[in-house]
Amino acid sequence: MTKQIVIDPITRIEGHSKITIQLDDNGRVEDARFHVTQYRGFERFCEGRPFYEMPSLMGRICGICTISHELASAKACDEIMAVQIPETADMLRRIVNLASVIQSHALSFFYLSSPDFLLGLESDPATRNIFGLAQKHPEIARDGVRLRRFGQEIIEWMAGKRVHPNWIVPGGVGSPLEPEVRDRILETIPEAYAIVQHSLDWFKRSLENYADEIRTFGNFPTLFMGLVSPTGGLELYDGSVRVVDERGSMLVPGFAPDSYQEYIGEAVEPWTFMKFPYYKPVGYPDGIYRVGPLARLNIIDACGTPQADQEWAEFRQLDRGMNFSSFYFHYARLIECLFAIERLEQHLNDPRILDKRVRAYAGPNSGEGIGITEAPRGTLIHHYRADSQGRITWSNLVVATTHNNLAMNRGVKQVAHRYVEGDRLTEGMLNRVEAVIRTFDPCLSCSTHAQDRLALHVELVSPDGEMLDQIWRD
Amino acid sequence: MPAKPKIAFFDFSSCEGCQLTVIDALQTHLGLLDQVEIVQFREAMTEKQDTYQIAFVEGSCTREADEDRLRAIRKQAAVVVALGACAHLGGVNSMKNRWAIGNVQTYVYGEKNKETYPSYPARPISAVINVDAAIPGCPIDRFEFLHIVQMMLQGRVPKLPDYPLCVECKLSENACLNTLGKPCLGPITRAGCNAICTTYGDGCEGCRGFAPEPNFEYMREILRGHGLSETEIDARFTMFNHYQLQQMGEDAPLSPEGLQSLNGELPTSTFAAPKEAEGHG
Repeated sequence: MTKQIVIDPITRIEGHSKITIQLDDNGRVEDARFHVTQYRGFERFCEGRPFYEMPSLMGRICGICTISHELASAKACDEIMAVQIPETADMLRRIVNLASVIQSHALSFFYLSSPDFLLGLESDPATRNIFGLAQKHPEIARDGVRLRRFGQEIIEWMAGKRVHPNWIVPGGVGSPLEPEVRDRILETIPEAYAIVQHSLDWFKRSLENYADEIRTFGNFPTLFMGLVSPTGGLELYDGSVRVVDERGSMLVPGFAPDSYQEYIGEAVEPWTFMKFPYYKPVGYPDGIYRVGPLARLNIIDACGTPQADQEWAEFRQLDRGMNFSSFYFHYARLIECLFAIERLEQHLNDPRILDKRVRAYAGPNSGEGIGITEAPRGTLIHHYRADSQGRITWSNLVVATTHNNLAMNRGVKQVAHRYVEGDRLTEGMLNRVEAVIRTFDPCLSCSTHAQDRLALHVELVSPDGEMLDQIWRD
Repeated sequence: MPAKPKIAFFDFSSCEGCQLTVIDALQTHLGLLDQVEIVQFREAMTEKQDTYQIAFVEGSCTREADEDRLRAIRKQAAVVVALGACAHLGGVNSMKNRWAIGNVQTYVYGEKNKETYPSYPARPISAVINVDAAIPGCPIDRFEFLHIVQMMLQGRVPKLPDYPLCVECKLSENACLNTLGKPCLGPITRAGCNAICTTYGDGCEGCRGFAPEPNFEYMREILRGHGLSETEIDARFTMFNHYQLQQMGEDAPLSPEGLQSLNGELPTSTFAAPKEAEGHG
């Protein structure tokens, strides 16, 4: 008899996400699917509204990725205005973006995932969280809180609010950087360096303990995609999009954002409302690719900052070339934090950073705009069309979590293969399914970020719909 | 020493930025944890068995199942607080109310799937249950949150400022954006955020809701002076307050076209064709 295991994380708002694991007659895993449905209708909200509202409105999609959405949106609006923003505004946007990457990575690494590394995947879920971590490893929990605060405070000091600031606007930013804010940020940088360096040290030392996870957590060849700088360096705000294959060969050294539709196709499956982006020249579903920290470190020629480059060289030695295991997303996050601090410091020490000219004004001079940035969890695309009065007539958002959809599905299947035995649901299996999803840091878990773990509802259902077994974890 | 009051957090249709702000507030004000016990910090299946005295609710009510949950929360909690613009006003979610609901569902979920995720026009939680207090804003201001919690712990009824944002903006010694040619809803918006957006250079969008007795007509006049079209002014008014204007019906201070779009009467053909799905990142 074919059976299905349904894992139903209770996530937020309209719609929900769940996992189904299909067993064959022998109780072995036949297939596994990760259904993500996260809809509030923002692409619909914006129609008919003035384009200049978009950064502020689109930022409201998410409490964690606010800055990423605002930046991708503002870049698309810059194109609708057909302006080049002042160079200082460009640098200021980059700084808040780097700060946002740091706070998000800190949340993902310390709050969400480090309880798994440090307390063990078999440990009691009641204490396998940041509070449990604070009791057992107070210094590491404190590092997490401080690193996140470092990123959050930069955003607050520069943009006014940590969540949904109005400061990122079409044409630039709302206000210039005050010298005392710059100095205040520079003062906090040494502690941030120390935290990241210390964390890299213990994480690298403990890698040998995770051999099993490294082997089974979404470890398979895929293509990788992300922004790169003109020199092939790590780039999180603006650049061209590079696609690299599983052997590390360049498929596209860098396509311009406005040609994304030539390279990215979006497939639809009847069992989920989330689309499956794929690399068009290869087709669906073989054109599976990953985005995010792991992908970014796999596609670049170098990071472009001294300390991060040193760590990156070591990282690239792990698997003699491309790193396939999604477990390494965690590692990549720490290296990106180091890069972000270095880059931030460079921008802040640039004398042009205090220039008062930070915003270009213009009306709707173009009917279309595309903005691509790297959100903490991967490539983010905002694409708008506007009428002659600047009212939005159409929009398309391709977000980081969606790009990783195919890979997350395959990752869940791989873990299920390894850890599901028989037709009973075990805590250990649940933990690992949670953990593999967490490596991708998908944003359906904004709720998960805010707390410390996914809430799961797992149902074991027979083909005729009878419930055979279930586990709640809230 | 009396038992610490138990508080719980719940989320409905929202981005959870307000709960995130609460976490930020707790990081710097750990002392609060000595005064209260947090018994829930996410939507959980066991909520009916839990006991708590104060419930903070983030997000809008957007479907029938939300109503049951809200009533269960109301039944348990002595005090229910709306946390942020989505719960307090309906917020950005209520923008979807412009469209006929069947249209939005088909647009978002695709024709064959629209039954799976039932949804209806977005409303603030006060449309379903009695609410004892609100912490406005998108997202909430963490200092206001701490302030209001302290007041409640002392048994006082928290009161929101009953004057417009301009008061705080002046106290912050900002030059008036409306005089600088930047559209700003400060004159009709409830204060309490310490004029944070205007201090950082961009006009107020009204996320805290309207101040008492707002002069909408004159506000429109000012915005017209900036060269905004009637549609743009409507957009400005409805970004966070669509539901409030919907409640005003015919009297809503909108253009004739804006009035038409208030109650989901905007024709499907106004803009682009429906599409299959949308993701989130």
